[in-house]
Amino acid sequence: MVSPVLADKPTATTEPGRHSRRPGRGRRDHLVAWLLITPALIYFVGFLLYPALAALYYSFTDWNLRTTPDWVGLANYKDLLFDDAKYPHFWQSIKVTLQYTIIAVPLTMVAALVQALLINAIRRGSNLFRLLLFLPVVTAEAAVGAIWRWLYDPQYGLVNAVIGLVGIPKQNWLNTPELVIPALAFIAAWQCGISMIIYLAGLKGIPSSITEAAIIDGANPWQRFRRVTFPMLRPTTFYLLVTGVIAALQVFGLVYVIFSGRGQSVTGGPEQSGLTYVLHLYLYAFRYDAMGAACAMSFILFVFIMIITVLQFKFVKQEAS
Amino acid sequence: MKSARLIPVYICLVVLALISIVPFLWMLSTSFKHGSDVYTKVPNLLPVDKKTGEFAPTTENYDYVLQIGGLGKAFVNSVWVCLILVPAKLLVDALAAYAFARIPFPGRDKIFAVLLAGMMIPTITLLVPRIFVTQSIGLFDSQWGLIVPNVASVLDIFLLRQFFLSIPSELEEAALIDGAGRMQIFWRVIVPLSVPVLSVVTITSFIFHWNDLVWPLVVLNDPDKYTLPLALQQLTQTESGRAYYIMAGATLAVVPVIAVVMIFQRRIMQGIAFTGLKT
Repeated sequence: MVSPVLADKPTATTEPGRHSRRPGRGRRDHLVAWLLITPALIYFVGFLLYPALAALYYSFTDWNLRTTPDWVGLANYKDLLFDDAKYPHFWQSIKVTLQYTIIAVPLTMVAALVQALLINAIRRGSNLFRLLLFLPVVTAEAAVGAIWRWLYDPQYGLVNAVIGLVGIPKQNWLNTPELVIPALAFIAAWQCGISMIIYLAGLKGIPSSITEAAIIDGANPWQRFRRVTFPMLRPTTFYLLVTGVIAALQVFGLVYVIFSGRGQSVTGGPEQSGLTYVLHLYLYAFRYDAMGAACAMSFILFVFIMIITVLQFKFVKQEAS
Repeated sequence: MKSARLIPVYICLVVLALISIVPFLWMLSTSFKHGSDVYTKVPNLLPVDKKTGEFAPTTENYDYVLQIGGLGKAFVNSVWVCLILVPAKLLVDALAAYAFARIPFPGRDKIFAVLLAGMMIPTITLLVPRIFVTQSIGLFDSQWGLIVPNVASVLDIFLLRQFFLSIPSELEEAALIDGAGRMQIFWRVIVPLSVPVLSVVTITSFIFHWNDLVWPLVVLNDPDKYTLPLALQQLTQTESGRAYYIMAGATLAVVPVIAVVMIFQRRIMQGIAFTGLKT
């Protein structure tokens, strides 16, 4: 999916190279072109196309990396969806992921929009603030997880110290099932820098004549936001919503780091309250050695994401007409 | 007064910037504290001695994680992987993008459409079979296993192609008439005109691969080959309860990226605004 900023621009697809075609060049040019795209094509076939088809095939098999795949038809899908004894946490992982998505995505977008509006309102220091608010998002998941484990530390953590200032008692954030999702969502909002930059670009794209007209008409700042700015940001908001949901459904690295304990044990948090869909998938693939089932899980996710993407395209088309 | 009206805006921004930055400052200060000074009733944002209250930073945590924690080796591994992977990927992507943008050949647009369609597949779906492919070409548990399976990116090809399309074709035609070959045109005309987009792609791909945890996690077994995020993740497990070591490790992982972002901030911001690409 292309960002609205890019999509708004008339992309220069004027059949490039067509005018440069001269008699006699053709065949040699074709050869050169094929040579140039060959490395990318090999990568594409080897690490995208083939794995995608293989994942589909393996999803119908009983398999781990060492054995030969054993065809079982739809059994993996059926067991995942209906066999609570075999996959006791499958639905739990879906619940966790949806909860996380529903909380984290809007929170992130609101944080990003507020930051963008504030930065857009100032001149002096705007680059500095933009940089400072951007830094969390370029930080490695492994480091983000490590830092926030320490920040959320029930005894010595900074978060409890800060909320203590306003009289809220200490919380055991990552060990209380009800607090796990909010704690994770807060980290997501902390990392809203990319959405902030995209909102900022959206704001810069609003013609000043429109805002000025609203000011002349006597609109106060809130009215200007409600009636002018926010509607003008609709494509940006929609883009961030869709990409945000798709990313949130796949959240993994962070929860992996946050909920890995001593040794190799990864549990998915207290009472599986942080067991996201992809963490669940990872555990089945690499801890319980059920690659076939993991592939089935990955295809269920794929289909789900495809549905969202298609709906979004339909919606955009409807908007346009 | 216009400036007076902006005071609340600045106050809000300072608060938000603090929320954004304080975790890093706390990471830094913890990493420079003596182990005995870390666990205090009231958190201290400076590395001070618990008893005397004197400013007493130490680098002993860094010595420990670099030597015993294996992060020194991991740092070198990460640098090495990025030094090979990032330029190789840029070259593969730019060459393909140039052909897709500029050289008409039969089936070009169909092939390109297939590539774009491939972008929709979530990486997690590809994860397990990718390991299998990596294993069958003999790169499992090796650093080349981090490089080869990541050596191209459809998104980057798409971005570079978009940019190449915007370069006026007259420049190229002039060179063609002068008898220049395609490769000469690529290096002499296209590359010099595309420095902005090439640098954005380079920087974002460096950040992505420097930070990447998932792929090294599934491909590497040998701790000697661990990259920094993986070694840090390991440290978080083995030293859990010793926040000063973990924060020293986190600092090592975070600082290079922050440095790169600070140096190239304008380019990066423009790049993201333009493409919406996720790092």
